[in-house]
Amino acid sequence: MNFMRKFSILFMTVAVLFCSACDFDSKADSEFFAMDTIMSITAYGSNSQSAVSAAENEINRLDKLLSVQNENSEIFKLNRDKSINASADTVTLLKRAMNFYTLTDGAFDITTEPLTRAWGFYSGLEKRVPSQNEIDNALKTVGAEHINIDNKNITLDENTSLDLGGIAKGYASAKTAQIFKENGVSSALISLGGNVRVVGSKPDGSDWSVAITDPDDNSKQVGTLAVRDTAVVTSGSYQRYFEENGHIYHHIIDTETGYPAQSGLKSVTVVSEDDTLADALSTGLFVMGLEKSSKLYSKNSALFGAVFVTDKNEIYITDNLENRFSSQHKFEVIER
Amino acid sequence: MKTRTWIIILSSAVIVCAVLWMFILNSSSPSKIVGIYQDGSLVEKIDLNSVTDEREITLNGKFGKNIIFISHGHIEMKSAECPDKICVKHGALEIGGTPIVCLPNKVVIQFEETPYGADAKTGAAE
Repeated sequence: MNFMRKFSILFMTVAVLFCSACDFDSKADSEFFAMDTIMSITAYGSNSQSAVSAAENEINRLDKLLSVQNENSEIFKLNRDKSINASADTVTLLKRAMNFYTLTDGAFDITTEPLTRAWGFYSGLEKRVPSQNEIDNALKTVGAEHINIDNKNITLDENTSLDLGGIAKGYASAKTAQIFKENGVSSALISLGGNVRVVGSKPDGSDWSVAITDPDDNSKQVGTLAVRDTAVVTSGSYQRYFEENGHIYHHIIDTETGYPAQSGLKSVTVVSEDDTLADALSTGLFVMGLEKSSKLYSKNSALFGAVFVTDKNEIYITDNLENRFSSQHKFEVIER
Repeated sequence: MKTRTWIIILSSAVIVCAVLWMFILNSSSPSKIVGIYQDGSLVEKIDLNSVTDEREITLNGKFGKNIIFISHGHIEMKSAECPDKICVKHGALEIGGTPIVCLPNKVVIQFEETPYGADAKTGAAE
């Protein structure tokens, strides 16, 4: 009797050990193309397969809604007709974009479409340096004051056009994380074209480790962040650029000058539980530069953290990331 | 039954578990296994370290052909008929580097594990 009881305890212990190992393997993943880039989604746990399918559908739906190049999208129609009756998603996202415009003092701007087009940063166009005349004309159409939102009616001033490329992936990643939570997925990793979002902890209960790409060498990293339930988004001049007459022109356009932002930074990584904010601010802070960004941080340290890589390869991190960031390189801490 | 017998049974169970655990961990250590994907579907999985003869794989997409070149420990996009040829300019696939991506033809060449020691890399993709 005694033997049987002990044997069953031993048997149960081994069975539990094995099952916890089995649970590791219950994972679902998907890799697909949307929003002009690669999406990669991995979820762990019993409900992961249906959650991943639902997430993929949601991202494709948002892509069709928000794409600047898809002729059936609301944004395409808005740019063409200058007026639409928008869906709830588009209204929500545009309102948030307007808030980020104010928060960053105009550095994050969704009216860059005419400038981005002039520089040829859309697929199918030739990348080139536009004439000063073209830039001056495009600059007249730029700024959130050219967008009017009246309930569901959105109108644009003449010649103003929107590009949600700096915020749509963040919104899609927030929606994906939400779908995972609703489906009871407590562990997932989402990468929407390099916009990373982690849900919960790793299946073994530890933090997710997210590396930040070295702007000078894609195969290296400037450091890693140990995170849970957060978005990590990087904007960098190395991501999309072209060379002309020995000068390098990147894709993050400063709407103040109409030229690629020259703010002394090579990349900005924003860490936040708010995916949409992380996406928008990574671009906004890149345009603002280190000094203005530090000031913005000191007033909003509850909203986000950031890692900056300067043109001189110095690394700066905000003080709320001190326990999360590790690097082989030397780095400075920005106090709030 | 004697306590000593139980200690022996339990400790051997622990050892068996530990060995199994080590085996599971080892099987996921960095390797040179790459996956070639087109439109999200796996075309071929290759262990670059076991490649002995050079060869090419041709994929047909919306914007024409992609020709992938493979040799021992090495894989690259040799040529592409897409407009921007970012995938060709990428050069060879490097450990810890970004995947080779041809957006127009929806081709991705990447390591099946994440060899840079992190779970994900931010800002890596275009």
